[in-house]
Amino acid sequence: MNTDEHKEQELLDLLKDYPMPQAEAGFYDQALAKAAHRGTRKQRNRWLATGFGSALAAGLAAWVVFAFLLGAPTQDVAEPTIPGVTIALEEPKTVRLMFASKESLDNAMLTVSLPDGVELSGFPGQREITWETSLVEGRNVLPLTLVALTPAGGEVFAKLEHGDKDQVFRLRVNIS
Amino acid sequence: MDSQNAIFERIVRPHLDRLYRLSWRLAGSKAEAEDLFQELLLKAYGMLDQLIDIEEPGTWLSRVMYNLFIDQQRRFRRQRLQTVDEGHLPGEGLAAFASDLDPVADKLRYDKLASLDRALNQLSEEHRTVVLLHDTEGYKLAEIQIITDTPVGTLKSRLHRARARLREILESDGTFSR
Repeated sequence: MNTDEHKEQELLDLLKDYPMPQAEAGFYDQALAKAAHRGTRKQRNRWLATGFGSALAAGLAAWVVFAFLLGAPTQDVAEPTIPGVTIALEEPKTVRLMFASKESLDNAMLTVSLPDGVELSGFPGQREITWETSLVEGRNVLPLTLVALTPAGGEVFAKLEHGDKDQVFRLRVNIS
Repeated sequence: MDSQNAIFERIVRPHLDRLYRLSWRLAGSKAEAEDLFQELLLKAYGMLDQLIDIEEPGTWLSRVMYNLFIDQQRRFRRQRLQTVDEGHLPGEGLAAFASDLDPVADKLRYDKLASLDRALNQLSEEHRTVVLLHDTEGYKLAEIQIITDTPVGTLKSRLHRARARLREILESDGTFSR
């Protein structure tokens, strides 16, 4: 095997080894049950007639879009309406925060602050979670799986910082 | 369970593992993969009359899933928030890392896989998809052709360029020797 073939094989071996989590126990049964319960033509037609896609109608991930324009003038920008999502008590729901960045940014810091009674799945008991990330120019998606433990609701704050600049995004969380 | 549900489950269940893996490879994160997987089942259930007559439901379902994924991508492109995706937190898939019970070997292997994860996220969607389906999941090019409705020649070209780009990235970050 020559050097190029060896490199190719090394890459193929690594790709074959690239892991992927298994579905959690019961996930398939739940997914099949949801499809059977919600997938009737009557329901689907009603969802489409009301203008929602099947994902929204099925209670899947909600999308919230933010424009992340660090350094852009703010005086001409009208006060944005705070977007909101409604989640059911004790039922995890994924909300995807989409940040549209005008430029790529390395070493940005993202801090998510949660109201009392709302947790981020995987971070039990934590009101504030911070991690370092990078943004690409254009669309950046952050899925957050929220779980409401009390019916109070409140606001989630997502603060993006890069260098000496920062921007805070607000998301109202209503509990049904 | 009524007969319609039983028919649906009998057709679909044998393919769920492979479809789940496909959803992960397309979407790249647990939350999005599970949404895509659920969306597929909802759509497939609504097309049960058609699904019953399909000779190879696994491939058909894979193609429907791929089209759902592409439609989703296009919907958000139309919102002028386009270019590169970063739909998951880096390394999310590495949660499935399986230990060899050799801490030193584990660390080396994990670091390499983390580098691969970062490198894959630098590829275009088309290149990432073909390399993951072919080289990681073992799909034949003929299957990927059906799923993605892309000629085999184009897929070969994408695969070649995707591997070359991955090697380049992995060499530049020191994962592979030059």
